[in-house]
Amino acid sequence: MSMVVANGLTHRFGGELALDGVDLVLDTGEHMAVLGDNGAGKTTLLRILATALRPTSGRLQIAGLDAFRERRRLRHYIGYVAHNPGLYPALSAAENLEFFCDLQDVSRSRVPEALEMLGLGSVAHRRASLLSRGMQQRLAIARAILHEPRLLIFDEPDASLDADAAELLGLVMKDRTAVIATHDHALANRLCPRTLVLRHGRSLGTATHLRVVR
Amino acid sequence: MNPFRAAIAVARKDLVSEWRTREMVPALAQFVVLALLIGNFGFQIDSRNAPSIAPGILWLALVFAGLIAFGRTFAAEREQSSLEAMLMTPASPVAIFAGKALAASVLLILCEVVLLPALWLFFGTPVSAGVVLAVILATIGMASLGCLFAAIVARVRARELLLPLLTLPLWIPFIIAGGQAVQSAMGLPGSYDQAIGLLIDFDILFVVLTSLAARFVLDE
Repeated sequence: MSMVVANGLTHRFGGELALDGVDLVLDTGEHMAVLGDNGAGKTTLLRILATALRPTSGRLQIAGLDAFRERRRLRHYIGYVAHNPGLYPALSAAENLEFFCDLQDVSRSRVPEALEMLGLGSVAHRRASLLSRGMQQRLAIARAILHEPRLLIFDEPDASLDADAAELLGLVMKDRTAVIATHDHALANRLCPRTLVLRHGRSLGTATHLRVVR
Repeated sequence: MNPFRAAIAVARKDLVSEWRTREMVPALAQFVVLALLIGNFGFQIDSRNAPSIAPGILWLALVFAGLIAFGRTFAAEREQSSLEAMLMTPASPVAIFAGKALAASVLLILCEVVLLPALWLFFGTPVSAGVVLAVILATIGMASLGCLFAAIVARVRARELLLPLLTLPLWIPFIIAGGQAVQSAMGLPGSYDQAIGLLIDFDILFVVLTSLAARFVLDE
Protein backbone atom coordinates (compact mmCIF):
# COMPACT_ATOMS: atom_id res chain seq x y z
CA MET A 1 0.00 0.00 0.00
CA SER A 2 1.23 3.52 -0.80
CA MET A 3 1.83 5.80 2.18
CA VAL A 4 2.37 8.93 0.08
CA VAL A 5 0.88 9.71 -3.33
CA ALA A 6 1.61 13.18 -4.68
CA ASN A 7 0.54 14.49 -8.06
CA GLY A 8 1.78 17.72 -9.59
CA LEU A 9 2.76 19.41 -6.34
CA THR A 10 3.44 23.04 -7.18
CA HIS A 11 4.14 25.90 -4.81
CA ARG A 12 4.76 29.59 -5.37
CA PHE A 13 6.01 32.10 -2.84
CA GLY A 14 4.56 35.27 -4.31
CA GLY A 15 5.66 35.18 -7.94
CA GLU A 16 8.54 32.80 -7.31
CA LEU A 17 8.12 29.17 -8.24
CA ALA A 18 9.54 27.04 -5.41
CA LEU A 19 8.19 23.67 -6.48
CA ASP A 20 7.11 22.78 -9.99
CA GLY A 21 4.81 19.82 -10.53
CA VAL A 22 6.50 17.16 -8.42
CA ASP A 23 5.00 13.66 -8.59
CA LEU A 24 5.84 11.10 -5.96
CA VAL A 25 4.72 7.70 -4.74
CA LEU A 26 6.14 6.24 -1.57
CA ASP A 27 5.19 2.79 -0.35
CA THR A 28 4.62 1.96 3.30
CA GLY A 29 7.92 1.34 5.06
CA GLU A 30 9.93 2.83 2.20
CA HIS A 31 12.74 5.33 2.85
CA MET A 32 13.48 8.08 0.36
CA ALA A 33 16.15 10.78 0.33
CA VAL A 34 15.55 14.16 -1.27
CA LEU A 35 18.69 15.74 -2.67
CA GLY A 36 19.31 19.06 -4.33
CA ASP A 37 21.26 22.30 -4.08
CA ASN A 38 20.23 25.13 -1.78
CA GLY A 39 16.96 26.61 -3.06
CA ALA A 40 16.11 23.48 -5.05
CA GLY A 41 12.78 23.15 -3.23
CA LYS A 42 13.62 20.39 -0.73
CA THR A 43 12.25 22.19 2.33
CA THR A 44 9.14 23.32 0.46
CA LEU A 45 8.46 19.74 -0.64
CA LEU A 46 9.02 18.40 2.88
CA ARG A 47 6.78 21.03 4.48
CA ILE A 48 4.02 20.14 2.01
CA LEU A 49 4.45 16.41 2.74
CA ALA A 50 4.30 17.21 6.47
CA THR A 51 1.05 19.16 5.83
CA ALA A 52 2.68 22.26 7.31
CA LEU A 53 2.28 24.08 3.99
CA ARG A 54 -0.57 23.97 1.51
CA PRO A 55 0.64 23.68 -2.10
CA THR A 56 -0.50 26.24 -4.66
CA SER A 57 -1.72 23.34 -6.77
CA GLY A 58 -1.47 19.57 -6.91
CA ARG A 59 -2.86 16.70 -4.90
CA LEU A 60 -1.44 14.83 -1.97
CA GLN A 61 -2.70 11.70 -0.26
CA ILE A 62 -1.14 10.30 2.89
CA ALA A 63 -2.22 6.90 4.19
CA GLY A 64 -5.12 7.07 1.75
CA LEU A 65 -6.43 10.36 3.16
CA ASP A 66 -6.56 13.72 1.45
CA ALA A 67 -3.63 15.50 3.09
CA PHE A 68 -5.30 18.90 3.31
CA ARG A 69 -8.90 18.05 4.04
CA GLU A 70 -7.89 15.54 6.72
CA ARG A 71 -4.75 17.16 7.88
CA ARG A 72 -5.61 17.40 11.56
CA ARG A 73 -6.32 13.67 11.58
CA LEU A 74 -3.09 13.03 9.68
CA ARG A 75 -1.02 14.83 12.30
CA HIS A 76 -1.26 11.63 14.36
CA TYR A 77 0.52 9.80 11.54
CA ILE A 78 3.29 12.29 10.77
CA GLY A 79 6.49 13.10 12.65
CA TYR A 80 8.29 16.14 11.25
CA VAL A 81 11.71 17.52 12.13
CA ALA A 82 12.31 20.92 10.56
CA HIS A 83 15.74 22.34 9.83
CA ASN A 84 15.50 24.43 13.01
CA PRO A 85 14.81 22.29 16.13
CA GLY A 86 12.13 24.72 17.42
CA LEU A 87 12.53 23.90 21.11
CA TYR A 88 11.62 25.92 24.20
CA PRO A 89 14.96 27.10 25.59
CA ALA A 90 13.75 27.70 29.17
CA LEU A 91 12.29 24.19 29.49
CA SER A 92 14.38 21.11 30.15
CA ALA A 93 14.72 18.34 27.56
CA ALA A 94 12.14 16.24 29.42
CA GLU A 95 9.76 19.19 29.87
CA ASN A 96 9.92 19.97 26.16
CA LEU A 97 8.84 16.42 25.40
CA GLU A 98 6.19 16.37 28.14
CA PHE A 99 4.65 19.51 26.68
CA PHE A 100 4.41 17.86 23.27
CA CYS A 101 3.00 14.68 24.86
CA ASP A 102 0.15 16.85 26.17
CA LEU A 103 -0.44 18.37 22.72
CA GLN A 104 -0.17 14.98 21.00
CA ASP A 105 -2.49 13.44 23.59
CA VAL A 106 -0.03 10.67 24.40
CA SER A 107 1.11 9.52 27.82
CA ARG A 108 4.05 11.32 29.39
CA SER A 109 5.48 7.89 30.17
CA ARG A 110 6.80 7.92 26.57
CA VAL A 111 9.29 10.65 27.48
CA PRO A 112 12.05 8.64 29.25
CA GLU A 113 11.89 5.99 26.53
CA ALA A 114 12.27 8.58 23.73
CA LEU A 115 15.10 10.35 25.56
CA GLU A 116 16.98 7.07 26.08
CA MET A 117 16.49 6.06 22.47
CA LEU A 118 18.09 9.31 21.31
CA GLY A 119 20.91 9.11 23.87
CA LEU A 120 19.60 12.04 25.92
CA GLY A 121 18.81 10.23 29.17
CA SER A 122 21.69 11.89 31.03
CA VAL A 123 20.61 15.41 30.03
CA ALA A 124 16.87 14.96 30.57
CA HIS A 125 16.73 17.72 33.19
CA ARG A 126 19.07 20.13 31.45
CA ARG A 127 17.50 23.21 29.87
CA ALA A 128 17.23 23.01 26.09
CA SER A 129 19.21 26.25 25.76
CA LEU A 130 22.18 24.57 27.47
CA LEU A 131 22.23 21.58 25.12
CA SER A 132 24.66 21.48 22.20
CA ARG A 133 23.21 21.99 18.71
CA GLY A 134 23.56 18.25 18.06
CA MET A 135 21.71 17.37 21.28
CA GLN A 136 18.98 19.87 20.40
CA GLN A 137 18.63 18.13 17.05
CA ARG A 138 18.36 14.77 18.81
CA LEU A 139 15.70 16.24 21.09
CA ALA A 140 13.74 17.47 18.06
CA ILE A 141 13.91 13.92 16.64
CA ALA A 142 12.72 12.51 19.99
CA ARG A 143 9.78 14.93 19.87
CA ALA A 144 8.90 13.75 16.36
CA ILE A 145 8.62 10.10 17.41
CA LEU A 146 6.72 10.59 20.70
CA HIS A 147 3.39 9.68 19.12
CA GLU A 148 4.75 6.70 17.14
CA PRO A 149 4.17 8.25 13.70
CA ARG A 150 3.93 6.08 10.61
CA LEU A 151 5.55 8.69 8.37
CA LEU A 152 8.74 10.52 9.35
CA ILE A 153 9.85 13.64 7.52
CA PHE A 154 13.32 14.98 8.31
CA ASP A 155 14.73 18.20 6.90
CA GLU A 156 18.53 17.87 6.98
CA PRO A 157 18.51 15.96 10.27
CA ASP A 158 22.22 15.18 9.97
CA ALA A 159 23.24 18.87 9.81
CA SER A 160 24.29 19.03 13.47
CA LEU A 161 24.53 15.37 14.37
CA ASP A 162 27.80 13.62 15.08
CA ALA A 163 29.35 10.56 13.43
CA ASP A 164 26.62 8.27 14.81
CA ALA A 165 23.97 10.16 12.82
CA ALA A 166 23.32 7.42 10.26
CA GLU A 167 22.95 4.77 12.94
CA LEU A 168 20.65 6.95 15.02
CA LEU A 169 18.46 7.92 12.08
CA GLY A 170 18.36 4.29 10.91
CA LEU A 171 17.10 3.32 14.36
CA VAL A 172 14.22 5.80 14.46
CA MET A 173 13.29 5.19 10.80
CA LYS A 174 13.06 1.42 11.30
CA ASP A 175 9.60 0.08 10.42
CA ARG A 176 8.42 3.53 9.36
CA THR A 177 8.05 5.32 6.06
CA ALA A 178 10.58 8.15 5.90
CA VAL A 179 11.55 11.08 3.71
CA ILE A 180 14.86 12.80 4.41
CA ALA A 181 16.26 15.94 2.81
CA THR A 182 20.04 16.00 3.00
CA HIS A 183 23.17 17.26 1.28
CA ASP A 184 25.07 14.17 2.37
CA HIS A 185 24.95 11.76 -0.57
CA ALA A 186 26.70 9.01 1.40
CA LEU A 187 24.09 9.22 4.17
CA ALA A 188 21.31 9.21 1.58
CA ASN A 189 22.70 6.07 -0.05
CA ARG A 190 23.18 4.36 3.28
CA LEU A 191 19.71 5.03 4.70
CA CYS A 192 17.48 5.29 1.68
CA PRO A 193 17.10 2.84 -1.16
CA ARG A 194 15.38 5.56 -3.22
CA THR A 195 16.50 9.06 -4.06
CA LEU A 196 14.65 12.05 -5.48
CA VAL A 197 16.73 14.84 -6.95
CA LEU A 198 15.31 18.35 -7.16
CA ARG A 199 16.67 21.24 -9.17
CA HIS A 200 15.02 24.67 -9.35
CA GLY A 201 11.86 23.15 -7.89
CA ARG A 202 11.60 20.42 -10.52
CA SER A 203 12.08 16.75 -10.00
CA LEU A 204 14.93 15.26 -12.03
CA GLY A 205 13.42 11.86 -11.26
CA THR A 206 13.73 9.19 -8.66
CA ALA A 207 15.96 6.18 -8.72
CA THR A 208 16.90 3.27 -6.57
CA HIS A 209 20.48 4.44 -6.51
CA LEU A 210 21.91 7.91 -6.62
CA ARG A 211 24.46 7.10 -9.35
CA VAL A 212 21.69 6.21 -11.82
CA VAL A 213 20.11 9.65 -11.51
CA ARG A 214 23.30 11.61 -11.78
CA MET B 1 -7.71 15.62 21.91
CA ASN B 2 -9.14 17.62 24.79
CA PRO B 3 -8.86 21.31 23.82
CA PHE B 4 -8.87 22.42 27.49
CA ARG B 5 -5.91 20.16 28.25
CA ALA B 6 -4.05 21.59 25.25
CA ALA B 7 -4.85 25.20 26.20
CA ILE B 8 -3.73 24.64 29.81
CA ALA B 9 -0.53 22.94 28.60
CA VAL B 10 0.29 25.92 26.34
CA ALA B 11 -0.46 28.46 29.09
CA ARG B 12 1.56 26.51 31.65
CA LYS B 13 4.50 26.24 29.25
CA ASP B 14 4.48 30.02 28.65
CA LEU B 15 4.20 30.82 32.35
CA VAL B 16 6.97 28.37 33.33
CA SER B 17 9.20 29.87 30.62
CA GLU B 18 8.51 33.38 31.93
CA TRP B 19 9.09 32.32 35.54
CA ARG B 20 12.51 30.92 34.60
CA THR B 21 13.68 33.69 32.29
CA ARG B 22 11.85 36.63 33.95
CA GLU B 23 12.05 38.46 30.64
CA MET B 24 8.68 40.12 30.59
CA VAL B 25 7.07 40.81 33.99
CA PRO B 26 9.92 42.73 35.71
CA ALA B 27 10.40 44.93 32.63
CA LEU B 28 6.66 45.56 32.28
CA ALA B 29 6.32 46.34 35.98
CA GLN B 30 9.12 48.90 35.71
CA PHE B 31 7.49 50.32 32.60
CA VAL B 32 4.09 50.84 34.25
CA VAL B 33 5.66 52.42 37.35
CA LEU B 34 7.67 54.80 35.14
CA ALA B 35 4.54 55.67 33.15
CA LEU B 36 2.72 56.56 36.39
CA LEU B 37 5.71 58.57 37.59
CA ILE B 38 5.78 60.57 34.33
CA GLY B 39 2.02 61.12 34.62
CA ASN B 40 2.46 62.26 38.19
CA PHE B 41 5.07 64.84 37.25
CA GLY B 42 3.30 65.82 34.01
CA PHE B 43 0.12 66.97 35.74
CA GLN B 44 -0.52 69.17 38.75
CA ILE B 45 -2.14 66.48 40.88
CA ASP B 46 -4.22 67.40 43.90
CA SER B 47 -6.99 65.65 45.80
CA ARG B 48 -9.70 67.28 43.60
CA ASN B 49 -8.40 66.38 40.13
CA ALA B 50 -6.69 63.05 40.94
CA PRO B 51 -9.83 60.88 40.36
CA SER B 52 -10.30 62.37 36.89
CA ILE B 53 -6.63 62.19 35.82
CA ALA B 54 -5.59 58.86 37.39
CA PRO B 55 -7.90 56.65 35.26
CA GLY B 56 -6.48 58.14 32.06
CA ILE B 57 -2.90 57.49 33.16
CA LEU B 58 -3.90 54.00 34.32
CA TRP B 59 -5.34 53.07 30.91
CA LEU B 60 -2.41 54.59 29.02
CA ALA B 61 0.06 52.53 31.06
CA LEU B 62 -2.07 49.42 30.68
CA VAL B 63 -2.51 49.81 26.92
CA PHE B 64 1.20 50.19 26.24
CA ALA B 65 2.15 47.41 28.66
CA GLY B 66 -0.43 45.21 26.91
CA LEU B 67 1.02 45.95 23.49
CA ILE B 68 4.44 44.80 24.70
CA ALA B 69 3.12 41.71 26.51
CA PHE B 70 0.84 40.50 23.72
CA GLY B 71 3.34 41.36 20.98
CA ARG B 72 5.86 38.97 22.50
CA THR B 73 3.44 36.02 22.75
CA PHE B 74 3.74 34.91 19.15
CA ALA B 75 6.93 36.77 18.18
CA ALA B 76 8.95 34.58 20.57
CA GLU B 77 7.38 31.41 19.10
CA ARG B 78 8.24 32.55 15.57
CA GLU B 79 11.79 33.53 16.51
CA GLN B 80 12.55 30.12 18.02
CA SER B 81 10.62 28.31 15.24
CA SER B 82 8.52 26.51 17.80
CA LEU B 83 5.10 27.64 16.58
CA GLU B 84 5.22 25.29 13.61
CA ALA B 85 6.13 22.36 15.86
CA MET B 86 3.12 23.18 18.02
CA LEU B 87 0.81 23.54 15.03
CA MET B 88 2.04 20.19 13.68
CA THR B 89 0.34 18.44 16.58
CA PRO B 90 -3.34 17.38 16.54
CA ALA B 91 -4.09 20.15 19.09
CA SER B 92 -6.67 22.60 17.81
CA PRO B 93 -5.29 26.03 16.78
CA VAL B 94 -8.09 27.56 18.85
CA ALA B 95 -6.81 25.72 21.95
CA ILE B 96 -3.26 26.87 21.23
CA PHE B 97 -4.49 30.46 20.81
CA ALA B 98 -6.55 30.27 24.00
CA GLY B 99 -3.54 28.99 25.94
CA LYS B 100 -1.32 31.79 24.64
CA ALA B 101 -3.99 34.42 25.41
CA LEU B 102 -4.51 32.98 28.91
CA ALA B 103 -0.79 33.14 29.69
CA ALA B 104 -0.51 36.69 28.31
CA SER B 105 -3.51 37.75 30.44
CA VAL B 106 -1.91 36.29 33.57
CA LEU B 107 1.35 38.15 32.84
CA LEU B 108 -0.52 41.42 32.38
CA ILE B 109 -2.52 40.84 35.57
CA LEU B 110 0.80 40.36 37.39
CA CYS B 111 1.82 43.80 36.09
CA GLU B 112 -1.49 45.17 37.33
CA VAL B 113 -0.59 43.88 40.79
CA VAL B 114 2.23 46.45 40.66
CA LEU B 115 0.29 49.06 38.69
CA LEU B 116 -2.71 49.49 41.00
CA PRO B 117 -0.83 50.01 44.29
CA ALA B 118 1.53 52.36 42.40
CA LEU B 119 -1.52 54.29 41.19
CA TRP B 120 -2.65 54.71 44.80
CA LEU B 121 0.87 55.74 45.81
CA PHE B 122 1.38 58.36 43.09
CA PHE B 123 -2.16 59.71 42.76
CA GLY B 124 -3.69 58.96 46.15
CA THR B 125 -6.78 57.49 44.52
CA PRO B 126 -8.57 54.59 46.22
CA VAL B 127 -7.94 51.20 44.61
CA SER B 128 -11.19 49.44 45.44
CA ALA B 129 -12.47 46.02 44.39
CA GLY B 130 -14.49 47.85 41.74
CA VAL B 131 -11.34 49.24 40.12
CA VAL B 132 -9.66 45.81 40.21
CA LEU B 133 -12.71 44.14 38.63
CA ALA B 134 -12.88 46.72 35.81
CA VAL B 135 -9.17 46.35 35.03
CA ILE B 136 -9.31 42.53 35.01
CA LEU B 137 -12.41 42.45 32.79
CA ALA B 138 -10.76 44.82 30.32
CA THR B 139 -7.58 42.73 30.40
CA ILE B 140 -9.46 39.60 29.26
CA GLY B 141 -10.91 41.22 26.14
CA MET B 142 -7.76 43.16 25.36
CA ALA B 143 -5.71 39.96 25.66
CA SER B 144 -7.91 38.06 23.21
CA LEU B 145 -7.70 40.84 20.61
CA GLY B 146 -4.05 41.61 21.29
CA CYS B 147 -3.01 37.96 20.92
CA LEU B 148 -4.98 37.54 17.71
CA PHE B 149 -3.28 40.51 16.08
CA ALA B 150 0.07 39.45 17.54
CA ALA B 151 -0.39 36.09 15.75
CA ILE B 152 -1.24 37.88 12.50
CA VAL B 153 1.71 40.28 12.56
CA ALA B 154 4.26 37.82 13.96
CA ARG B 155 5.24 36.77 10.47
CA VAL B 156 5.87 40.28 9.12
CA ARG B 157 9.00 42.33 9.64
CA ALA B 158 7.29 45.57 10.76
CA ARG B 159 5.32 43.82 13.50
CA GLU B 160 6.18 46.37 16.23
CA LEU B 161 4.60 49.07 14.07
CA LEU B 162 1.64 47.07 12.80
CA LEU B 163 0.49 45.64 16.12
CA PRO B 164 -0.52 49.01 17.68
CA LEU B 165 -2.06 50.17 14.39
CA LEU B 166 -4.33 47.12 14.24
CA THR B 167 -4.99 46.66 17.94
CA LEU B 168 -5.51 50.13 19.37
CA PRO B 169 -8.69 50.99 17.42
CA LEU B 170 -10.32 47.77 18.61
CA TRP B 171 -9.24 48.35 22.19
CA ILE B 172 -11.11 51.68 22.30
CA PRO B 173 -14.39 50.11 23.57
CA PHE B 174 -12.48 48.58 26.51
CA ILE B 175 -10.78 51.88 27.27
CA ILE B 176 -14.08 53.81 27.16
CA ALA B 177 -16.05 51.34 29.27
CA GLY B 178 -13.11 50.56 31.54
CA GLY B 179 -12.34 54.24 31.99
CA GLN B 180 -15.93 54.96 32.93
CA ALA B 181 -16.00 52.05 35.39
CA VAL B 182 -12.75 53.12 37.06
CA GLN B 183 -13.86 56.77 37.28
CA SER B 184 -17.17 55.71 38.88
CA ALA B 185 -15.32 53.42 41.30
CA MET B 186 -13.12 56.39 42.24
CA GLY B 187 -16.16 58.50 43.10
CA LEU B 188 -16.81 60.45 39.91
CA PRO B 189 -20.36 60.54 38.45
CA GLY B 190 -21.37 57.73 36.07
CA SER B 191 -22.96 54.32 36.24
CA TYR B 192 -20.45 51.70 37.39
CA ASP B 193 -22.83 48.79 36.79
CA GLN B 194 -23.57 49.89 33.24
CA ALA B 195 -19.84 50.19 32.44
CA ILE B 196 -19.09 46.75 33.95
CA GLY B 197 -22.01 45.28 31.99
CA LEU B 198 -20.54 46.73 28.81
CA LEU B 199 -17.10 45.30 29.62
CA ILE B 200 -18.62 41.83 30.11
CA ASP B 201 -20.49 42.14 26.79
CA PHE B 202 -17.31 43.20 24.98
CA ASP B 203 -15.36 40.35 26.59
CA ILE B 204 -17.89 37.76 25.42
CA LEU B 205 -18.08 39.26 21.92
CA PHE B 206 -14.34 39.52 21.36
CA VAL B 207 -13.41 36.21 23.00
CA VAL B 208 -15.89 34.43 20.69
CA LEU B 209 -14.84 36.37 17.57
CA THR B 210 -11.11 35.96 18.15
CA SER B 211 -11.52 32.23 18.88
CA LEU B 212 -13.31 31.82 15.55
CA ALA B 213 -10.68 33.86 13.73
CA ALA B 214 -7.72 32.13 15.43
CA ARG B 215 -8.35 28.97 13.46
CA PHE B 216 -7.79 30.79 10.18
CA VAL B 217 -4.90 32.87 11.45
CA LEU B 218 -2.89 29.98 12.90
CA ASP B 219 -3.86 27.18 10.54
CA GLU B 220 -1.74 28.18 7.52
